[in-house]
Amino acid sequence: MTPAVPLPAVSLPVTAGRKRSTAIWATFAAPGVGWLITFFVVSIYAVMAVAFGAIDPILKTARPKWNPLSWDWDAMSRTIDRVLHGDLGQVFVRTGAYIALALTGCILIGYPVAYFAARVVRRRRGLLMAALVLPFWISYLMRMLAWTNLLQPDGYVNKALRFLHLMDAPRNWLNGDSYTVVIGLVYGYVPFFILPLFASLERLDGRLIEAGRDLGASAFQTFRRVTLPLSVPGLMAASVITILPMAGDYYTNTYLTSGSPKTTMVGNQIEFFLQRSSQPQSGASLVLLLMGCLFVLMLYYLVVTIRMQRAAER
Amino acid sequence: MLGAGVPLLQACGDSGSKSANKKAIADGLEPEAGPLKIVNYADYVNPDVIADFENLYGVDVEFTTINTDTEVMSKIASGAIKVDVQHSMANYSIGNLISGGLLQPLNKSYLPNFANVISSFNDPWYDPGAKYSVPYTFFGTGLAYRADRIDPATVEEQGWDALWNATDFAGQVTVLDDPREALAMAMMRRGLFDVNTVDPEVINQALADLTELIDLVNVKYNIEAYHDIPEGTTTLAQTWSADMILAAAGYLPEGVDAEVLGFWHPPAGEYVVSNDSMGVLADAENPVLAHLYLNYLLDNDVAEKNFSWVGYLPALTKLNADYLIGAGYVPEHLRGCVPTDEEVAEALIFKPLGVEGEALYEEAWSQFIAGG
Repeated sequence: MTPAVPLPAVSLPVTAGRKRSTAIWATFAAPGVGWLITFFVVSIYAVMAVAFGAIDPILKTARPKWNPLSWDWDAMSRTIDRVLHGDLGQVFVRTGAYIALALTGCILIGYPVAYFAARVVRRRRGLLMAALVLPFWISYLMRMLAWTNLLQPDGYVNKALRFLHLMDAPRNWLNGDSYTVVIGLVYGYVPFFILPLFASLERLDGRLIEAGRDLGASAFQTFRRVTLPLSVPGLMAASVITILPMAGDYYTNTYLTSGSPKTTMVGNQIEFFLQRSSQPQSGASLVLLLMGCLFVLMLYYLVVTIRMQRAAER
Repeated sequence: MLGAGVPLLQACGDSGSKSANKKAIADGLEPEAGPLKIVNYADYVNPDVIADFENLYGVDVEFTTINTDTEVMSKIASGAIKVDVQHSMANYSIGNLISGGLLQPLNKSYLPNFANVISSFNDPWYDPGAKYSVPYTFFGTGLAYRADRIDPATVEEQGWDALWNATDFAGQVTVLDDPREALAMAMMRRGLFDVNTVDPEVINQALADLTELIDLVNVKYNIEAYHDIPEGTTTLAQTWSADMILAAAGYLPEGVDAEVLGFWHPPAGEYVVSNDSMGVLADAENPVLAHLYLNYLLDNDVAEKNFSWVGYLPALTKLNADYLIGAGYVPEHLRGCVPTDEEVAEALIFKPLGVEGEALYEEAWSQFIAGG
């Protein structure tokens, strides 16, 4: 994660001693680099070998092709065609819309909470942070299953709403409605959003805010012109951390709509093709296409953060 | 031409030799010390039955749990799972497991209880002569419904059409989360009973019909009817007959009577009946113990005890509808959930279609779950 206000890079004259210490520090990066190669580069290459590979005609399992020269582009071109001209296009659009809405929800709920925890609370911050981390103790699936119970026609959500006279007849929340899925995504991912944002807001230089007030800005103006711009890197990092897993999510809508074709996300299609079909190449192609979309987003994130870093260094 | 064919045949012979060379175990061997390793779906065998087996033979049994037939197939093939017994093979996979050399032929001298099995399973289409497999459970595909909301006479009269007519129950209608089952159902509704067709036109028509259900009745796809029907969140579901036996046995909320459960299935000859089978893997480390386990599960009393917990019917002659109703496991009005000998003998069967044939169904299914 990038610090809110990066320290200016200090250039020192390079000496022999410094070279040696650079080498030592570089070796510290070795485990990380090894990790990245094993679990990122190799695994992505494995996905490509499956996407452009063949199928065992008897066992119907993937036969990856490791040599790019013998790659078979058939499944990929069919998948791209279905995304651009067919039914899968709407699945990508739907997934994007769910993520955008859920991200908005995360910002609306997460920003005030993170701000409160980082800038307002002084004495019980540890307790508050523990409370925020608490949901992580329970597995995501268990939390979604709990929601299905709460949202059932005779569940507590309906009971509470009727008790408060906010609703006459019980609603079936699990009816395959998009907003139930979006609510589920917000609920599931908002802790992931709050934590990085909290870390970034906590490091925000309080003197800048004081300066804003001293120079005559109102509380709102200070927030809008000082705090908010300074928290953009934190917001960006928090967004990236939530967007990535949401894009691959397939169980939230499965549980919250008991399998409605109206709420299928890209993750559901990937799950079907990889786990339960004899066409793992199509599933792997979808993985690569989804990664392509996310890569564009990541690129944007990197460009923006680098620009901000440069602006801060100036 | 001939010259070109010879190496090809040799190549086939080589890849098939793994199964050809694999012989059944010899007669009269002592069981191994275990632990016996089994792969199965979750909650698909009674834990008490396993405990009994462990006590009887003084061994441990270890389970690996899987979610789908495709998953277990690829994990066995890749060696990711090393077990002695595959507990629940779908019948369209057994042929592939045999030709892939992954199963070993069974030595029937260890399986005296095979005599208890319904005779239709003595020579099943997927494993001629039942050389590699014994049946575990069997079930038909029909419509489960809430008899307190839909008149049973209506379902009897309309059959599969009832799904398309259930507009009063939008959001409470489901089809099986299985490409073959769901698409074949749409074909049968139009009177097409070749459930193994690879005619793209027929499959596309079935897809169009299924897609209609999205707007008509807000259809969902899952395999949850065994608790969603008794709990009432689903009113009408294409599902397996065993699900309603299971529903009556253990999923009715307090104060709800089994009378609310209904099940309809097509007449013999138009009725899909499927089964799961048990087999011993070619590289099993405990093949004798594995045989003893298969034999144990085919014992009438053990199978009854297992059925009382699992709810899926064992394919044993003794445990027919009369017996199960008499013993109180199945309510009389759900008699139709137990396929009769005639229905099994004349059953429609999902056969393997090869990679290209399956792909037609899978692509159609992917379009259906994408929202049409």
